[in-house]
Amino acid sequence: MLVSLIILRLHPSKNYIQQEKMCCIGKSASKGGSSVTNSSAQAEETVIETLNLIKVYKEGKIKAVDHLNLKIDRGEIYALIGSNGSGKTTTINMLTGSLFPTSGNIQVLGLQVPKQRRMVANQIGVAPQDYALYTDLTVEQNIRFFANLYGMKKTQFLKRLDELLPILRLNERRKTTISNLSGGMKRRVSIACALVHEPKIVFFDEATVGIDPVLRAFFWDYFRSLAETGLTIVLTSHVMDEAERADRIGLMRTGKLIEEGTPQEIKQRHSALSIEQVFLKLSEGVVADE
Amino acid sequence: MAVTRRILTQIRRDRRTIGLMIFIPALIMLIFGFVLAGQAKNLPVIIDNQDAGYIVHVGKNSTSFNFGSKILSQLESDDRVRVTEASFASGKTGVDNGSYYAAIEFPANFSEVLVQRNAGRNINSSMTVYIDGTNPTIEATVLAALQSSLQNSFGNSGVVLNEQFAFRNVPFSSLDVSIPAVISLVLTQTVVLISLIVIVREATAGVLPRLYTMPLSAFERLLGYSVALLILGMAMTGIVLFIGLGIFGAIIQGSVALLFLGAVLYALLNIFLAVFLSNFASNELQAVQMVPLITLASMALSGLLIPVDSFPGWVQILARFVPMYYANNLFEGIMLKGYGIDNVAQQFIIIGGIALLFFILAVITVKDRMPD
Repeated sequence: MLVSLIILRLHPSKNYIQQEKMCCIGKSASKGGSSVTNSSAQAEETVIETLNLIKVYKEGKIKAVDHLNLKIDRGEIYALIGSNGSGKTTTINMLTGSLFPTSGNIQVLGLQVPKQRRMVANQIGVAPQDYALYTDLTVEQNIRFFANLYGMKKTQFLKRLDELLPILRLNERRKTTISNLSGGMKRRVSIACALVHEPKIVFFDEATVGIDPVLRAFFWDYFRSLAETGLTIVLTSHVMDEAERADRIGLMRTGKLIEEGTPQEIKQRHSALSIEQVFLKLSEGVVADE
Repeated sequence: MAVTRRILTQIRRDRRTIGLMIFIPALIMLIFGFVLAGQAKNLPVIIDNQDAGYIVHVGKNSTSFNFGSKILSQLESDDRVRVTEASFASGKTGVDNGSYYAAIEFPANFSEVLVQRNAGRNINSSMTVYIDGTNPTIEATVLAALQSSLQNSFGNSGVVLNEQFAFRNVPFSSLDVSIPAVISLVLTQTVVLISLIVIVREATAGVLPRLYTMPLSAFERLLGYSVALLILGMAMTGIVLFIGLGIFGAIIQGSVALLFLGAVLYALLNIFLAVFLSNFASNELQAVQMVPLITLASMALSGLLIPVDSFPGWVQILARFVPMYYANNLFEGIMLKGYGIDNVAQQFIIIGGIALLFFILAVITVKDRMPD
């Protein structure tokens, strides 16, 4: 038993090799063996799908996510919106495989998460809420470290770095230590680390929080250009108005998805002028994390 | 007062720190209390009593003397030494291979010479003591026990101790005998401390959750830490040996290469121990608190302060589970006794085995996802 436990730790993906052979990545992946996806037509576009996803934290027995059903298509910018403590980050953590759900199903790119998370990991990028960078390394060293973990070759990495740094306006800061950067710059480095390996899906957790309006506008333009290339972007924010730039919005409150659709659809359904109005209406003045 | 109150509030909320604050001093005091309560005792020595005895005839009366047997029985009742009777040659072999601390030989004419000296002849009897001089405490204790037995047997006059040092008859300075222990102490303390800080810093920097989302298994991550720390450990080992041997000129009778190899293996053991312990520390404070626990407990139990043979029975068993015990034996063996790989293979295997055990424990306990 001890030996098998060690072997499992040594090669966590071993158990899933057989399953990997059965389902390939991307469009055709979900056609085989998916318990979540029912029709092949949906599977062609859907890259993320959750079914009755529940997360109850052991400490405090808090139900952070409650029967969440999500379906996100390829090339979409999907914004999970909600106030603090509404379950957005917990959802992102479960979708990326860093947090295990209490129950429910998650399928990302046709693969089961967390079961097959190591195989999913190569195809997703994550920029967490806190920057999650090595503050004593330079911009380039940080990006190189994450590129190495994604198995990128040196030439591949340098080519990609030359693409990313100018776009994210970090060219001048290439050799600067992270601790000497402003918050906005750190956020851009964090995004560069998430995009370096050209993932199919990228998760930005509160990517636009605490940055100035100019940089926020730049980020949204950049996200749109990325989505046009077929990249799926899942982001979280508690700033309601900026989420209107997403293709679709999921409004979360106390772990539940209380509204979903395009910004236009949601506003029309509730006869509201802004998403913020909708949210306030649905919240009925109750602060979520109270 | 605001700062004081804030610090006390923070400490009060860190239950693990409070636990360690109570547990570590209590455990250290208990260990040292048990270990240091007694003095060196039960030191194994071999005695070869060849004394044929001597009979003195005065008129019709005759009196028989056998001082060898008298001294032997005195030593047998002295708890500082544990006496085994065997040949002097086997005793020397026993001292050379570390099974005994001294071999003592009483010559056949031991009693005869002493009686004649007592009768007024200006002669001295001699006894040969072949002793392990690599530990001054042990050497002094064995010689003190012998002196007491001589004193109690016949007043301690007229006996010349022919003292021979084992291990190429080299007399060791205090520095010589201290350096092996210092090497194991420094390697334990610095390697565990640096390793813990390096690993725990990653968790406190908030990078770990991001790493959980990457195609990097927990095993690969641990291996990455271990290789990096091994390079640091080798550098630290090099510095320790350079200062010990190069600057202070500590004696080394065995191979420097073998010593370096042993030191690196011991550093690796401490790295794996730190990797294992890092799974239970959520911040640098908690990690740093673990270091004195390991270092002080190892110092007390490894025989670094007083010989393991002097410990109470159950503490002796406990000492066999302390890696520093084997490291001390290994470094002393190579540096002071000139042991080659044949003599220290057992220590290499045990240290390697414990290192592997710590790594397996680290792999089993490592977190590869965020806490539930």
